[in-house]
Amino acid sequence: MANVTFPFPFPDHLITLLPEMIVAVLAMTLLLVDLFISKENKVWTAYMAVITIVVAAIATIQLYPAGSIEAFYGFFVFDPFAAFSKLLLFAATAISILISIDYMKDENHVGEYYVLMLFAMLGMMLMISATNFIILYLGMELMALCTYVLVGYQREVLRSNEAALKYFILGALSSGMLLYGITFLYGVSGSFDYSEVGAALHATGNSSDPAVLLGLVFLLAGLAFKVSMAPFHMWTPDAYEGAPTPITAFMSVAPKVAGFVVIVRVAVDVLPAMQTEYMTILTGMAILTMAIGNLAAIAQRNIKRMLAYSTVGHVGFVVLGVIAGNADGYAGILVYLSIYMVMTLGIFAIIILMRREGIQGELLDDFAGLSKVRPGYALAMGLFLFSLGGIPFLAGFWAKYAVFIAAIEAGHVYLVLYALLFSAVGAFYYIRVVKYIYFDEARVTFEFTESRVMQATVVITAVAIVALGLYPDPLMDACKAAVVGLI
Amino acid sequence: MLETAFFNLFAGLSIFAGLGVVLSRNTMHAVMFLIFCFFNAAGLFFLLDAEFLGIILILIYVGAVMVLFMFAIMMLEVNVSKMRDNFLQYLPLGGMIAVILMIEFVAASTTGVFTEGAKATAEHLAMDVNNTKEIGQVLYTKYLLGFEIAAIILLVALVGAIVLTIRGRKDAKYQNISKQVNVRREDRVRKVSM
Repeated sequence: MANVTFPFPFPDHLITLLPEMIVAVLAMTLLLVDLFISKENKVWTAYMAVITIVVAAIATIQLYPAGSIEAFYGFFVFDPFAAFSKLLLFAATAISILISIDYMKDENHVGEYYVLMLFAMLGMMLMISATNFIILYLGMELMALCTYVLVGYQREVLRSNEAALKYFILGALSSGMLLYGITFLYGVSGSFDYSEVGAALHATGNSSDPAVLLGLVFLLAGLAFKVSMAPFHMWTPDAYEGAPTPITAFMSVAPKVAGFVVIVRVAVDVLPAMQTEYMTILTGMAILTMAIGNLAAIAQRNIKRMLAYSTVGHVGFVVLGVIAGNADGYAGILVYLSIYMVMTLGIFAIIILMRREGIQGELLDDFAGLSKVRPGYALAMGLFLFSLGGIPFLAGFWAKYAVFIAAIEAGHVYLVLYALLFSAVGAFYYIRVVKYIYFDEARVTFEFTESRVMQATVVITAVAIVALGLYPDPLMDACKAAVVGLI
Repeated sequence: MLETAFFNLFAGLSIFAGLGVVLSRNTMHAVMFLIFCFFNAAGLFFLLDAEFLGIILILIYVGAVMVLFMFAIMMLEVNVSKMRDNFLQYLPLGGMIAVILMIEFVAASTTGVFTEGAKATAEHLAMDVNNTKEIGQVLYTKYLLGFEIAAIILLVALVGAIVLTIRGRKDAKYQNISKQVNVRREDRVRKVSM
């Protein structure tokens, strides 16, 4: 046999990919094992998926890096920022799987549902660790492909099909835009590597080059679509309304974490030479996003649509952290996303609990008079809504505080005043739901799904909201530690 | 000399095949012409020493994409005469694209990129290189991570397509194979006394 010399040495630091390997291998194993599980015992598939995530989380904690470790010739990076975001992702996916069990128990072929969630998570893990546009794009496609299928999983439900189709077409369009942007940057720099593209942009110093600007605009548009930033938010309400509710919960949290991590990495590694340009674009989008998200949410009668617009509004606040462009801003993004995850998953758990006899309790009217029937759920719902509205001394307040302070530090006082205005508008429609719950007469008979797992989820998230509201310092410190060395 | 002759052969045949795709009345013949066109394009790639691209073009486009095309055409039952009625409707858009393409071709060929000198350097740039081997060496070392992710994407696409299309209808008349295999004579044949 010919003596072949390879142009590259064996990749270093392969161990940093252990969490990804665990998820990939166990997800594929689960796909096979699921065939041998009878329909009555499908719940075990869900539990095994959760165990997979727990194992990956343990591996991530064990490997938690002190600094940035590059693997695969600089295609993959494992730093505290990536590790922290991955842990957030694990929590979001595990809780989404747990709140799916009861919702999906009547569906056929439910095993693949959990496997696809694992693969979506794998895609997001790769997005988080990517330091190369190729890996970023592939990770994003893996995530997107899984979510298209998950949104359309209930084939008998017309709304679900419609949502999946809309999401698929717009998602493919956004992938195209992202790729188009990447090609322009590749044409200018001759590399797909974040830092090499950044260095090339810095070296040319000619940021007004139309090719560079075109690349920047398309890149930001593609990324903005994934985190549903206006004006690329159009798919959000339809996809959220039509998707199975646990998937709505999953989609409103996990892809946002991955998307913002990518945006931060791109801002830090690729675009430092074009700070004024991308800041201008992001500021414009943030202003639009906050307005559209919070104003459109007022008009919604369906709570899933309302929460979709609320997501858009919150994304507008999170972007302030990127615009701040300092370590506090990036830490603020992590704080915001962590707290937002807890609130959103809690509120969706209650919405799923209100499912009764095939009818999903998802109109705002369905919540009227909840406090008289189930005071416990009403209290939890009230806490989540107040927290989402940013009422002080609940966790949501500290989330906003973290990004607003960072933006003020960076000198964006007017932008923060504008954000505060729309934060007040947001508080209006959240508190309106609390009014329905506590001060209106019941218009429908409540029938709650009795599920221990779901009730535990509601209790844990509600307690976490109060605890983080009273004592947010550990989370704030952890997020600050996670962005050390990023810039 | 021989190379120029082969170039003229492949280029001429691919133009002929391209005309055939547009002008043939039968959709199936158009697909066949397209396949012929791909074979000639692959020949042109071989002449440029890009043997990997040539092989891939035949394997993927002819072997997979065009077969899919044929199945789609056979299943959709395209009505050609009906499509011809809409010819004028699509003419402005199609004509516009054709004009833009023409301008682009002319502009590109007059920029000076295709000077005799540039053509001479580009000629046989890859003569001493084994494309397939080189691409393989880079793909399975430097770009291994991306390659693996692409494999997982394909798996997800398979699983997703099956999940979304499988028909688990309860009123469907399934064949129960184990029951058929285990059937005994007594279950099927009844002896009646006349």
